[in-house]
Amino acid sequence: MKVRDEGKVLDIVGEFANIGAGNAATALASLLDMEVVNEVTTCNLLPLSKVASWLGGPEKVVAGVYTQLCGDLRGGVLVVLSRDSATNLIGHLTKETPDLARLTEMQASALREIGNICLCWYLVAVSRMIESDLIPAPPDATVDLLGAVLDLPLADAGVKVDKVIAVHTVFKSFEKAFDGYFLLLPEEQMLDIILEKMGDGR
Amino acid sequence: MNEPQLVGIAQVLACRAPERICCMGLGSCVAVFLYDPTTKVGGVAHALLPRAPKGAGTTGKYADTAVKLLLDEVLAKGARREMLRAKLVGGAQMFPNLNIRVTDIGKENIDEAKRALRALGIRLAAEDTQGTRGRSATFDLESGRVSVSTAFSDSHFI
Repeated sequence: MKVRDEGKVLDIVGEFANIGAGNAATALASLLDMEVVNEVTTCNLLPLSKVASWLGGPEKVVAGVYTQLCGDLRGGVLVVLSRDSATNLIGHLTKETPDLARLTEMQASALREIGNICLCWYLVAVSRMIESDLIPAPPDATVDLLGAVLDLPLADAGVKVDKVIAVHTVFKSFEKAFDGYFLLLPEEQMLDIILEKMGDGR
Repeated sequence: MNEPQLVGIAQVLACRAPERICCMGLGSCVAVFLYDPTTKVGGVAHALLPRAPKGAGTTGKYADTAVKLLLDEVLAKGARREMLRAKLVGGAQMFPNLNIRVTDIGKENIDEAKRALRALGIRLAAEDTQGTRGRSATFDLESGRVSVSTAFSDSHFI
């Protein structure tokens, strides 16, 4: 991989992250039928080994929604929600308080859909900036230890990925705040394309 | 009791009683524990993928080479090879409904770790593997027991 100025790369990622977070807030608002705004978005370009600690440590229980891109550009996409955020969002959508240890089929489906909508709208932001289609497969969801949730994305990324684009967004709805992480694990060729196209003329 | 030493992905660690070692949040990863009860020397390898590609060298990232690396480390700490026995934890399938996947990396990790142990003539004493739940495993070098817990259940020993 080419040597890059990390500061400039972060600026580029930050720009897409804010657009993605705005998209996701709008989509969540329409899915949940309530007002949702994105309050704070921070982003980072992390080595694989630092992902777990950036997200709060491997022993934390989280909801994870994961899929892979299956078009020309390959990579993994993971949305991580904190326990409280997942409980609130699933609860609002299904009108019943979920037990995260034993999600019903309907609640698991709601979680997949919340994750799907978020990851798709972040991807749309990336896609528009790089003028390339990004095609996610239908995702799967689980509630488990963060370390365990990250294993498969990291294994899929394996030797082909060395940096992860990580975005943390806090959303606000009425007086309730919830937050989520969007992680893009691009294969090296894809990361090059993203950064080159995003960086054009800047 | 001292805090257990944490062993992350691709790391290999050998030590002796009264130390404790912990692998937190094992999903499809496999943790291979080796223990010699006579010297109370043991260790763990926390591997992400089954087989090392050519040219990867001996690394803790892959189950096949991680087991060899772990054996070297515990022998260097004074374990007696003929007394060693192994325990396996992990290898879960965290996203079983992801239709794009044709392989189950968790199962491959377990199979490869077992193959590597067999090739080295090390007996498998116990395992808590596969399924769809993540696990945390803490190895007590004093007793040789491994305590396994999941996100929503109490721990049990293997």
